[in-house]
Amino acid sequence: MVTLTIDGKTIEVPEGTTVLRAAQGAGIDIPTLCDHPHLTPYGGCRLCLVEVEGARTLQPSCTMPVSNNMVVKTDTKKVLDARKFVLTLIFSERNHFCPYCQVSGGDCELQNSAYREGMTHWPLQPNWQPYPVDASHPYIILENNRCILCRRCVRACGELIGNYTLGFEERGARSILVADTGVPLGESTCVSCGACVQVCPTGALIDRWSAYRGHDVALESTKTICVGCSIGCGIKVFTRDNNLVRIDGDWDASINEGVLCEIGHFEPMTEKCDRIHTPMIRKNGSLKAATWEEALSAASAGLQQLKGKSTTSIAAMISTRQPVETIHNFKQLFEKHLGAELVTSTEEGCFTSFVASEAESAGKAFESKLADVRDSDSVMVFAADLLKDHQVAGFFIKRNLPAGTKLLVIDKSDNALDKAANKAIKPGKCGYEDVLKALSSAVVKLGLAKGKTAVKADELSSLAAKTDLTSDDYLDAAFIIASAERPVILYENAESIAALKEFAALINAKLIGLKGGANSLAASQLKLEKTYKSNGFKAAYVALGDDELSQKMTKELESIPFKIIQASYASSATAAADVVFPSTTWLEQGGHYINLEGIVQEAFQALKPAEEVKTIGETLLALSAKLGVTLDGDWTKEMHKRISPVEITR
Amino acid sequence: MAKPKVSTDWMAGCAGCHMSLLDMDERIAKVAELVDLRSTPITDLKVPDESGVDVGVLEGGVNNTSNEEVAHRMRSRCKILVALGDCAVFGGVPAMRNFFTIEESLRRAYIESESTDESGKIPSDPELCKPTKVRALQEVVPVDVFVPGCPPSADTIFYVLSELAQGRIPDVKDDKLSWY
Repeated sequence: MVTLTIDGKTIEVPEGTTVLRAAQGAGIDIPTLCDHPHLTPYGGCRLCLVEVEGARTLQPSCTMPVSNNMVVKTDTKKVLDARKFVLTLIFSERNHFCPYCQVSGGDCELQNSAYREGMTHWPLQPNWQPYPVDASHPYIILENNRCILCRRCVRACGELIGNYTLGFEERGARSILVADTGVPLGESTCVSCGACVQVCPTGALIDRWSAYRGHDVALESTKTICVGCSIGCGIKVFTRDNNLVRIDGDWDASINEGVLCEIGHFEPMTEKCDRIHTPMIRKNGSLKAATWEEALSAASAGLQQLKGKSTTSIAAMISTRQPVETIHNFKQLFEKHLGAELVTSTEEGCFTSFVASEAESAGKAFESKLADVRDSDSVMVFAADLLKDHQVAGFFIKRNLPAGTKLLVIDKSDNALDKAANKAIKPGKCGYEDVLKALSSAVVKLGLAKGKTAVKADELSSLAAKTDLTSDDYLDAAFIIASAERPVILYENAESIAALKEFAALINAKLIGLKGGANSLAASQLKLEKTYKSNGFKAAYVALGDDELSQKMTKELESIPFKIIQASYASSATAAADVVFPSTTWLEQGGHYINLEGIVQEAFQALKPAEEVKTIGETLLALSAKLGVTLDGDWTKEMHKRISPVEITR
Repeated sequence: MAKPKVSTDWMAGCAGCHMSLLDMDERIAKVAELVDLRSTPITDLKVPDESGVDVGVLEGGVNNTSNEEVAHRMRSRCKILVALGDCAVFGGVPAMRNFFTIEESLRRAYIESESTDESGKIPSDPELCKPTKVRALQEVVPVDVFVPGCPPSADTIFYVLSELAQGRIPDVKDDKLSWY
């Protein structure tokens, strides 16, 4: 520990702490612009200058580490004058005319700093040099005229996302923020994660959707979680008069620490499908708007006549985007009370069923937490596309690569991480088990095995040939992952889980299964994992919510005579249904979700649904009442009835 | 002590700051009690007394040779000069024009404008003042008090005038300080 004095206050902080953080910890406020708590200190704006006793000049507190008996002053005239001067220089550099900009009036850190220092005017006028504006990106506008060159965006793009799209061209006053080698942002390698927009202190990087829709003070914000995939990132949803304005990553969320992907940050703003606003019933061959009472009666009448028969031929499916309470009630109603032949999720357990039975046969959880990816020194991505789904997990890997973390990609198809990988191997026509065997053999040959395997070193060339690859490919790959101290394997394809588990044990690697939708694991724990097989079903109930039904499933449903669908959006599936219930979207409902690493989180309602739109949970209760059954039971207990591939924790 | 004399005038602005001044409602009677209101653009007397006033208030930026005259005249006839509003303090919305040349701006306004037919031409009568780059008041003459805001609120203007009337230099800060 180091002891120092700031403004007469004696403070004790660990060695390596910066003066700024020490001051903040002691409740002493130093204004900053380029500093961001989630980015490495940069010392670019000079607003945080402080007086350090014995130092020749004022020192930037954000980059200055504390030392013993240091005496710091943050409120002397010299410091205050310097702050005003720094702001004067920044304002004179570009077009910082507040009335021209939508973030002014509370959301601009530059303007707020000037207010704080009591600046009534700019002692130096700007030189009216126009800089380019880049509006080529579908979600983001890059306005170089408002840039203060703090490089928060550049650091976020690199340090948090690992994408390194943003950078600076030229020097000094000519410095200009560019994407890649100066291409328009919309044509660049940008992955639209929105981290740069979220960290920009001014209006230099703004998102199109929320611009002019109100300052933060006028908005309501709800802390909740994204249900775009099974990672369950923490988000802050900003709304105004029940309209969605903006979604930010929640810096306090332990899973993602503020980072989001395009699906979480921007996609919810662009609702492209038509909402269903009222219940509908098929009358004389066409769907007609109906009351809830009529629709519930029609649905219950249809289901009632199939209830209790030995094979009732009801197929019931629920989306994994629904909260676990709803999934649990769904299972109760259809399995216990209606005796439906098929009760499953719309994913049909394709990501989880093999993994779940592997856990059951092993008798214990074997998967690890996402945080291990961040600490890992070598990651193997096994048949998983981390830029299509689960992008944030991909960011965790990519951001660590410059620090020396190795990356091995094994995928039969093209993988977005191929280019970033130290080695990407593309097996030919073969099973992934064969690939793992060859890899195991290579590990043994390299003498890096930490566990046992039946595969021998001299089998390598024949095993490699089977997968259309060479021994050298496998030796390179094996070295990357097996020589690491903390190897982690991320996988999505779960069919070869037994072989993968064996391989992980061989090299002492941690395994993380990506699973599918937000509540994929919860659905798996409730055993909603059967595959749909056409079987002369007489009725189908699809609790789709705001999810999409696959084309294959839409086609399968065609042959079923009586179909009930609850969906948020009109689709060919709802058009073919006999009873349609309008459903809330994820932002209009709340409930619990269990992410891929078994963490139970609660989602909160951020928007109020339209009058006639109800949650699937509410509809199930109303339908149960019509059918004369009661839904009870505790979903939390159900979660622990089956051994989970990963420990389920609160 | 005689009541301090106050004159106001406007230049390249929208008159909004003077409207905001009127927006102080009945408090304007209080201001009238405290000061001797001389020339303003919204009263009969348009030009500040040659003998001089105590406080001069100018709204708007300086965007032509006529504004320059107004600014210099006010400066030479007042003891304390107040720049009222974002245009006088920073240049304001008219200063967006500074990103273009004067020729471009004139061509856009008099020839390329949607409401102009082929007979459009840029006025060139020697009687007319000449447009210049848009400048904040402080770039043309020294300013004593800056009151930013678009417009500054009636409360802020009342505070500034009442402080000046009572012989104090107002300190515009905190909730009285706004640039938007």
